Amino acid sequence: MQEGELLNKKIRRKLSTAVIIAITIALVIAPYTGISGYLIRLLAIIFLWIGKAGCWNIVAGYTGYIDFGAVGYFGIGSYVTALLMTKAHFPFLPSILLSGFISGLIAFPIGLPTLRLKGAYFGIATLAFAEAMKQIILEFDQTVGVHLFEGPHGITLPIGPGNEFFYYIGFLVMIAVTGMTYWVRRSKFGYALRAIREAEHAAELSGVNTLRAKIEAYMISASFLGMIGGIEAYWLTYITPHMVFDVLITIQIVVMALLGGIGTLFGPVIGAAFLTILYEMLHRDFPYTYAIIVGFVIVVVILLMPKGIVGTLKAKIETGFRNG
Amino acid sequence: MDDRPLKRDIEPNGVVLEGRKITKYFGIIAAVQSVDFFVKREEILGMIGPNGAGKTTLFNVIAGVYKPDQGKVIFKGNVISGLKPHRICRMGIAKTSQIVQPFTQMTVFENVLVASLYGKGLSLSDAAQEAEKILEFVGLADVKTMPSGSITVPDRRRLELARALATDAEVILLDENMAGLNPMEIEGVLRLLREIRHQGKTLIVVEHIMRAVMGISDRIIVLNHGEKIAEGTPSEVANDTKVIEAYLGEKYAPHR
Repeated sequence: MQEGELLNKKIRRKLSTAVIIAITIALVIAPYTGISGYLIRLLAIIFLWIGKAGCWNIVAGYTGYIDFGAVGYFGIGSYVTALLMTKAHFPFLPSILLSGFISGLIAFPIGLPTLRLKGAYFGIATLAFAEAMKQIILEFDQTVGVHLFEGPHGITLPIGPGNEFFYYIGFLVMIAVTGMTYWVRRSKFGYALRAIREAEHAAELSGVNTLRAKIEAYMISASFLGMIGGIEAYWLTYITPHMVFDVLITIQIVVMALLGGIGTLFGPVIGAAFLTILYEMLHRDFPYTYAIIVGFVIVVVILLMPKGIVGTLKAKIETGFRNG
Repeated sequence: MDDRPLKRDIEPNGVVLEGRKITKYFGIIAAVQSVDFFVKREEILGMIGPNGAGKTTLFNVIAGVYKPDQGKVIFKGNVISGLKPHRICRMGIAKTSQIVQPFTQMTVFENVLVASLYGKGLSLSDAAQEAEKILEFVGLADVKTMPSGSITVPDRRRLELARALATDAEVILLDENMAGLNPMEIEGVLRLLREIRHQGKTLIVVEHIMRAVMGISDRIIVLNHGEKIAEGTPSEVANDTKVIEAYLGEKYAPHR
């Protein structure tokens, strides 16, 4: 029976690999098949949400530290790209890479004190960080007497290429974040993170430098969030602190990851795709009441699938195989 | 953050681990007060005392969970008090916990793997081999693929021991590793501990089960109210009036 189980697992793994490859190829050639511009735009948005939710999942899903300040790094990245492209006339690519780098760097002094906090206290501290970043950008110019962030007026970026460009950039980001998660799961580093999630004290006593592992995960997550912030800034061509430090972005990231399944590889993928498509469909047909319906759907899904869509299905399949 | 082991390996008289005048306060209460102790290589040192005597606190000071308010811990000639637990673990001191804390959602195998990966500093493939060996040794090979949250209490105790072994520690601190076990299971653990000692390890054993600790220890120290009140061979300690008064009195005094 154990051999049968092993065989089933092998077949399942091969099957899912084939499905993933097929979807990837389909997505690569999709823009050339004459699909509508609307669909390209929608897919690009989904890719970028998958990226954001995936970043959050690396920290929250694997170390168990529920971060409520994710938008802070997204916003920092947006502003770094905006400033580099408008003030220093940097091209797009180096700008977003620097956005990632700087967001990651800022995550170090923020993570060092906050990652010593537990549970809700970590959540509150990171929430405060993101809100503080918004206020700093809003008030900096007036307080110091310069023209840098332009306060609430925001920054206008140069007009970029079309939606196809952002489709492929978003696609790459999605692959990168999901690939990163895949690597984390299978690496030595991933075991440290999971040990921290399960029993941090015992992890430390097993030789894991817990603070360092947490900070590394936090910095990786922040780097990718910063890069995505830069990409979205260039796509939107106009940013204000209220837009790119909007706490609703954090909340949406959290809901997507939880809905899909926290601590799973494809949870953020499914959660982000599901919620974005749901929003889009309902927004069209019920422009005034869609938010209520979305809320209702989220509640129902979480009630039926408490571990998220992917988490619950995975648990069901595993017990199914064990029982029969 | 430097995690390299320190170089100066000095061991006067074979003493591998030593505590000098260790004091630890919780508020105004001294949980451990000016305790001196030492343990020699390949020795089994028992540590006994009534509840609240400061045994677990002393273990936590040694393992780096607490920083002592006074005094120092010396391991192979190096002062280690004040270092973080993961560094002390990597240097070669492992501690099992009184309240077992497995990584619940990870398998038994993965629990041990984490300790070989980080405590011993092995690569994934080497650590996997090492973990298999240790699971075989402690008798957990049959349950290695089970989530560690779903194994029995005796197996959880064994898992704690397996994790300590997987860090490749030279000194292992066992905090009530036999609590909740039946006499048969205790006998099994004692056999295992003797075997571990013969592999060159040094053990400090905190235990309430007198028969177990008296039987296995080369030497015993007795704590009461945070202070060391006696030290010696098991029979010396068992006949010490201070010890009988403080702790063994009710149980052992009638038999004298």
